[in-house]
Amino acid sequence: MTRNGPILRVEGLETRFFTEEGQVNAVHGVDMEIDDGEVFGVVGESGSGKSVTALSLLGLLESPGRVTGGEIWYRSAELADSVAEETPTAVDGDYVNLLGLPDRVRRTLRGTHFSMIFQDPMSSFNPSLTVGEQIAEAVEAQQRARSNPRSVASRTQGYGLSQYLMSFVSSSRKYVSEESRDRAVELLEMVGIPDPVLRAEEYPHEYSGGMLQRAMVAQALAGEPNVLIADEPTTALDVTIQAQVLDLLDEIQAETGMTILIITHNLGVVARMCDRVGVMYAGEIVERGALADVFDSPVHPYTQGLLGSVPDLGGSSGRLQPIAGNVPSLLDHEMPDRCYFADRCPKAMEACLRKPPELPVDGAAGHTAKCYLAEEPFDESTALPDGYFEGGSTDAADPADASGAAEVASDGGESE
Amino acid sequence: MSGRILSDRVRRSLKREFSRSLMAKIGLFLVVLMVTMATFAPFLAPHDPTQQGLDESNLPPAGVTQTSEEFRMVDGERTTVTVEREGSLEHPLGTDALGRDLFSRVLFGARTSLMVGLFGTLFAVGTGVSVGLTAGYYGGRTDDVLMRFADIMLAFPALVLAIALVGLLGPLTILIPDPFVQLGLVTGMPANFVFPITLTIVVGVVNWVWFARIARGEALSIRQQEYVKAARSLGASDWTILRQHILPNSLTPIIVLATIQVAAIILLESSLSFLGFSGTSLSWGFDIAQGRQYLGTSWWIASMPGLAIVAAVVGINLLGDWLRDALDPGLEGEHGGGM
Amino acid sequence: MSQYQFLIRRGLQGLLVVWGVVTLVFLLRFMTPGSPVDFVAPLDASPELRAQIARNLGLDQPIYVQYAQYLGGLIQGDMGYSYIRGRPASGIIVSRIPATLELAVAATVVAIICSIPLGVLSATRRHQPTDYAATTFSLVGISTPNFWLGIMLIMVVSVGLGILPTSRRPIGLIPAIELLIFQFETVGIRAWIAHMILPAVTLGTYFTAMIVRLTRSGMLDQLGQPYVEAARAKGLPETLVTYKHALRNTMIPIITVLGLQLGSLIGGAVITEFVFNWPGLGTLIIDAIRVRDWPIIQGALIVIGIGFVVINIVVDALYARLNPRVSLE
Repeated sequence: MTRNGPILRVEGLETRFFTEEGQVNAVHGVDMEIDDGEVFGVVGESGSGKSVTALSLLGLLESPGRVTGGEIWYRSAELADSVAEETPTAVDGDYVNLLGLPDRVRRTLRGTHFSMIFQDPMSSFNPSLTVGEQIAEAVEAQQRARSNPRSVASRTQGYGLSQYLMSFVSSSRKYVSEESRDRAVELLEMVGIPDPVLRAEEYPHEYSGGMLQRAMVAQALAGEPNVLIADEPTTALDVTIQAQVLDLLDEIQAETGMTILIITHNLGVVARMCDRVGVMYAGEIVERGALADVFDSPVHPYTQGLLGSVPDLGGSSGRLQPIAGNVPSLLDHEMPDRCYFADRCPKAMEACLRKPPELPVDGAAGHTAKCYLAEEPFDESTALPDGYFEGGSTDAADPADASGAAEVASDGGESE
Repeated sequence: MSGRILSDRVRRSLKREFSRSLMAKIGLFLVVLMVTMATFAPFLAPHDPTQQGLDESNLPPAGVTQTSEEFRMVDGERTTVTVEREGSLEHPLGTDALGRDLFSRVLFGARTSLMVGLFGTLFAVGTGVSVGLTAGYYGGRTDDVLMRFADIMLAFPALVLAIALVGLLGPLTILIPDPFVQLGLVTGMPANFVFPITLTIVVGVVNWVWFARIARGEALSIRQQEYVKAARSLGASDWTILRQHILPNSLTPIIVLATIQVAAIILLESSLSFLGFSGTSLSWGFDIAQGRQYLGTSWWIASMPGLAIVAAVVGINLLGDWLRDALDPGLEGEHGGGM
Repeated sequence: MSQYQFLIRRGLQGLLVVWGVVTLVFLLRFMTPGSPVDFVAPLDASPELRAQIARNLGLDQPIYVQYAQYLGGLIQGDMGYSYIRGRPASGIIVSRIPATLELAVAATVVAIICSIPLGVLSATRRHQPTDYAATTFSLVGISTPNFWLGIMLIMVVSVGLGILPTSRRPIGLIPAIELLIFQFETVGIRAWIAHMILPAVTLGTYFTAMIVRLTRSGMLDQLGQPYVEAARAKGLPETLVTYKHALRNTMIPIITVLGLQLGSLIGGAVITEFVFNWPGLGTLIIDAIRVRDWPIIQGALIVIGIGFVVINIVVDALYARLNPRVSLE
């Protein structure tokens, strides 16, 4: 691979949920660039749109959610070659716009190009199939995808209901081959699970949480993906186990040079793992840059608030502390045309009543913030008075609406 | 705790679920329709449902013309003649083989179904909840004995047991005077409502186990709660604790199950009436049995009461779904027995 | 190993339940009005003749002696003599079992084959025409009394269209198969199928409808689980995501409910048999009730009870097989 630009470039990504309460802008213009082989962290509160962003990347959104705008450029010369003929508009040099590809092509990318580690290993494994079987399925899916890319393009991927029914009668029709089962055991061994041959035959409830998260990593590695998306990989685990799983991810990254996108609300995880970081708020990335730049000299008051309230960044207990005010409603008709953070911001100015563009921060390449403070210092004279946003304005959502928004947020895949 | 059956939260949830669900509206409409039909049957019925008229037998529903060949005595000789019968609004759903008006019979049949459904369910709830609460609250030996007995009851298909009980005990009925007729508000209608008492008790008996299981489960779990322990340490009697703490808390799943059980019991009642075990002749199931002999010639006799059963049971089931979705007591799919 | 222990334990429990059923059924006779003698003796029988008949029937003994005699006989397969037919009740009852069993199995097969795919489609195509059709069907299906459905089918299919027969069936499955194998004669099996279709559909509709409902809501629940998303994320074909992953977990709770509902399958079979004049246990029991033929009533009820207990044990075993978290206990 040539080192010419990022492996993933997300531009203006918009994901919306069309619910009974109205349109919810879960992801609202996300921009980010992820370099090949780096660990990129997306950090933010619950309901800020982190997990929805990850699902949008993989094309796994469920109705009523839909990507409604933006582009996701992914660099893969091989993929660009194979789709250039069918969808020329989605190809730009080595880059492919994933959103321009038909569903059946995107399906082929799952596992091989992108794979995902989910938050809660217990509920992300099927309780009634053995762990080995489930990892072997992942291996098999990738092998089939590589050996016959065309076959995976259909919804059934050449393995329809009749094939499945026949598999009960004839073992040669089984989806998972013996080779894949063996490979699953190897993968379990690779992620440090003792007695992998025996453990492969066990069911998820016989595993501990940490072991199961290792198994999930093994499953994600089955297709030797280029980009690994880890959605809150340690949230469901004990503190001592968290460190082990992070070590494992570190090792794998060092060995394979894989790109990892970590989505978390745990600043300790970001500080420990990431090369660069993006801070998410109300469906957008409000500040991004190299870890040191963002964490040492944050510009956006939201980032400052997040970091200021964490005593020890190295400690894994560094959870986000609450910032005064409510998480904003993401309902479309309630989203104001201004900086979304202004109503909670200690440094809100008159300028903030217009939506700030992404502005470069002086002195650090690649460090940007969606905040006017990136360009000019805080000006007391234009500061908005306390209580400016309270009472009568559109922001003073009544309690019924607030509860509706909370429900929507949980519908949107955020389940922290 | 006591006093108010539905909390504000429950009421809001019922309302929200109702406003968003077309099915709940259809269900409520059908149930209201059925209750109205049953209550005001003497006013709504165009004829006495038991009045026979052989010259008006087998008339088709309004708007339908039926041609059939019948044997007649013409000039002392038996000959085949073609008879054409035309339905009219006089008998909107037609008449049966004895010339009784089917629409009136459907209206009065609703009374039987509804009464048996309601009182049978009440009986089942009463028995089941008492047994279940006792078993769950006292636990130990009482629990073992009662629940073993419940297992044996469950080991028996409800319908088969009901057939055996009703068939063998005999169809005892009581006559309930119709208030509208007694007060002289309507005339020409049956003076009494025949309430099949054996049938009602039997359908209750074969269905109480479901309530016992739920009440027991609730009592078992609630017994462990802190506030019940606190009440007991303050010297509250067993009866007070059962009535004030445990019963109100187990109410939601019982209400939902009871609604579904009314539907199941109406189906059960119609099956038993169909077999002729109910002791009343004013019942949808009974009419279907009558119409069974005339399938080739008078399709409406067996069809109309059946449609009434389906509409009533669909309505109650929809109502049950609405309650379940709104109250969500985790009863998914736990229907009682009976077809 | 533990599977056998499980089966033995459930078998013993089942035996206890069967004993309870036997006792209740026995007591039933003493709870009902009228003496069996009334139904057996001629109307003008002298008191001496009546006493003689009571003695012959063993009714002059105290209850506990009658109970012991009945239990003792039952263990040897003796259910007494039919009052009406004068033949051993056990023989009459056993001869009726195959017809009921064939009907129940056929209805179950119809129900399972139709309902599970329909429920799955309904869930995977939520809010689409398929879903609406399936939900409407299942709602009406669980709300329709099966005797009426049977009558309507007879009216439309047999009387109206003149396609399928309504007469009492001429041949059982086993004789029909024997005919096919030994004499290469298909007339038997064809008659069997023709007579089976309407009763099986009648009895199976309620179950089809119920399983569709359960499968749909279960699938909707399972399809929202994180493991389904994870299965998709690893690139698994949608067929496997739906059937191997989601449906498997959907079926686990459904099987328990089905076990409880088998009672109404048997109950429904009784009525269906009555409607179609089917020569099974159902018609036997209804006829026997009308004439108070106690040995037949008791024997048939006990056989039905045993059948139900056995089916429930099978269902429990199946449940344990499908759910890995149970077999470990």
